[in-house]
Amino acid sequence: MADPMSCEEATDLLALEAVGALEPADRELVERHLATCAPCTHAAAEYADLASLLPAALDLVPPPARLRRQLMAQVYAEATAPSRPSWWRRLVAAIPAGRPFTAIGAVAVVAAIVVGIYAVAGRNATSTSVTYTVSGTTATGTLSVDTTARQAVLTVKGLSALPSSEVYEVWLIPPQGAPKGAAFLSPGLGGGPWTAVMGGSMAGYTSIAATVEPAGGSPTPSNTEVLSGQLTVS
Amino acid sequence: MHLSDDDIVRSISAHSPEGIEALYDRYGGLAHTVALRILSDRGAAEDVVQESFLAVWRRGSTFQPGRGSLRSWICTIVRNRAIDRLRGDRHRTRLDSPIEGESIEPTVSDPWAAVAVELSAEEVRKALAELPAEQRQTIELAYYGGFSQSEIATKMEVPLGTVKGRVRIALDKLRASLADRMETSWPTQ
Ligand SMILES: [Zn+2]
Repeated sequence: MADPMSCEEATDLLALEAVGALEPADRELVERHLATCAPCTHAAAEYADLASLLPAALDLVPPPARLRRQLMAQVYAEATAPSRPSWWRRLVAAIPAGRPFTAIGAVAVVAAIVVGIYAVAGRNATSTSVTYTVSGTTATGTLSVDTTARQAVLTVKGLSALPSSEVYEVWLIPPQGAPKGAAFLSPGLGGGPWTAVMGGSMAGYTSIAATVEPAGGSPTPSNTEVLSGQLTVS
Repeated sequence: MHLSDDDIVRSISAHSPEGIEALYDRYGGLAHTVALRILSDRGAAEDVVQESFLAVWRRGSTFQPGRGSLRSWICTIVRNRAIDRLRGDRHRTRLDSPIEGESIEPTVSDPWAAVAVELSAEEVRKALAELPAEQRQTIELAYYGGFSQSEIATKMEVPLGTVKGRVRIALDKLRASLADRMETSWPTQ
């Protein structure tokens, strides 16, 4: 998809973003530009640092000692609480006794097959694909897995725009072992659905999820799941 | 022992309570100052500071060195939460909670850090004072008032493009002016 924004235009918007005045509609445009422009990413950091110097001109008002005590009491209480299983472990555990998705399994599931996913990827050839639903608190979407081209397209509605410091990262989750960061969701034009394209086989993964991560992605998902779905055929 | 910002980030990433403690001791005062400037309400400002540091604790550090300093990261977290609260409160009346007698504890334990903060406050004040009034007002409406580009345009009765231009020129001028001051106040190596 062509980036319609010049660095000059992007820089104007980055200055607005740094002081918090950027309009939500412009955020998606500037995010798309930042995704491919290192100089503007650097300029974004510089403007953010400059804006954060504004409070340095204020007279420092120290918080009451009570606030520190309250905060640290809460932190230490949570630090010693028994640890819960990670959210992705719970997701895997919640999967009913269906068959995990495999390349062979998917081809056999005629009922779930839809035709025409490749129109999304810009090709006209008909090919078979399997569609799964994904959902979260506000988000809904579908994952279309092309079983012949070994490509999957995740399309999601209902996600809110993120600041330039964050991305939606898509994870493929195996029944055992750590989730694999597979792609980032890109915002659609004019508030359209978010999409992510993933190459390679989906075989061996039982769930998919998306989380909010710092720009550039994380080695493991944080506890900020915005949607999830199961790659199983019941 | 003096922890660098990098040490603090590593400690938070390792989910260590000491990391949050160090973060609070270094930037809690700044966080409280920002929240109070935005909300003009002690109780609300304290809530926002507590929520912000707890969010960092619960979620782990999402700080990325390439995307700005630790200082600007925590400022942004606190500012955004305070603005969210302010915007919510614009549509309802608050019952002000009584302020109890409370002690103040120093938030800066490192004397060199204290000097740096004071120096920078004075330098930043001067640099801000040099901006034309309409530019300074524009960035303050945005940063402390939580107004968006179009809201500022309406408030100041200027076109959208003027707001955009003023913010960028103001930040570019601030950068140039602070860079000059840094060169004159810090001996070059
Ligand atoms: Zn650029």
